[in-house]
Amino acid sequence: MNLKKEIRIETIVVSLVISLMTILLLSILLNFDVSTTNSLGSELLNINESTTQSANAVTSVVTYFRGFDTLGEVTILFLSIFGISLGLDNMNKKSNIFSYENRLLKIGVEVLFPLIILFGFYIIIHGHLSPGGGFQGGVIIASGFLLMFLAKNDDFRLNHKIITLCESFSGAGFILVGILGVLLADRFFGNFLPLGSVGDLFSGGLIPLIYIFVGIKVSAEITALVEYFIRIKDVG
Amino acid sequence: MLDSFNQTPFLHGVITIGSFLLLTIGLIGALSKKNLFKIFLSLSIAEASLFIYFIGMHFEVGKVAPILSKEVDKFSSNMVDPVPQAMILTTIVIAIAVLSLALSFVINYFKLTNNLRIDEMDELGESR
Repeated sequence: MNLKKEIRIETIVVSLVISLMTILLLSILLNFDVSTTNSLGSELLNINESTTQSANAVTSVVTYFRGFDTLGEVTILFLSIFGISLGLDNMNKKSNIFSYENRLLKIGVEVLFPLIILFGFYIIIHGHLSPGGGFQGGVIIASGFLLMFLAKNDDFRLNHKIITLCESFSGAGFILVGILGVLLADRFFGNFLPLGSVGDLFSGGLIPLIYIFVGIKVSAEITALVEYFIRIKDVG
Repeated sequence: MLDSFNQTPFLHGVITIGSFLLLTIGLIGALSKKNLFKIFLSLSIAEASLFIYFIGMHFEVGKVAPILSKEVDKFSSNMVDPVPQAMILTTIVIAIAVLSLALSFVINYFKLTNNLRIDEMDELGESR
């Protein structure tokens, strides 16, 4: 291809200048008082053990200290999937754009699909003990459904009622946990469950509960997203 | 010899230059490509450069991940800052949401007009 005609020299100069400005601005912002010992992160690390008893500090920041932020994030994901489903309708009349007739894939998916779902739930439930959490485990579960879509072309269709039920009940449960935090504890997403001790599966108070809701919601949404993008060919 | 590479300023310099180049590549793609798919994928490359920059600049040599394990049994100042990682986790999910919405708009546009090139778009009657 004629790359020279497509990429002009002005574009390269403008991009270089914009990137230089962005990186310089960000490096100034990041180097501003970041080396002091009293940064926000070290304060959160200091109070983490007494307030949440979670072994994973990133998880406790995401769900406990910034739980309201996570609610907004899940809402943005939900609105995006909602907008996509407005545009691409009538999923039952569409067929798969990938149609492999692969025997190995069809037999292998029978073994792999339950294992992938199990691994996704493991990542979700152990979010407060090890790297992982609701978003990562949800995407792993959605990847299992992607494998099903690739292997079983049009024979495998999602039951959209179950997807909608999962999504709405987990979202409602997420907000209900937050409201219970207001009623029983000090603030929205305040902790009202026993904390346990660091390293146990039943520890961390509210964090595993929130991550289970987030995991179910994200897995349902990403699965619906995968179906919307993989099934866009009109049959007739 | 290798010890001189394993220093915090050197690694921060590598991350700065690498994310600068990645941001430049993404912006060049977004500004000069004519296909709508390639424009949105270039924008997501540019976003990825900022993720790398934020995570990488908060890493320092000798610090461990803020997760307790068998070796590390106490939260201390020897751990990296957990706040940027949590914020970048939020940002990645929002980037996925925005990219998927944009790609669904591209698919709908292609279904309506059979065209993906931005220099052949004429829905608002520019060339008439």
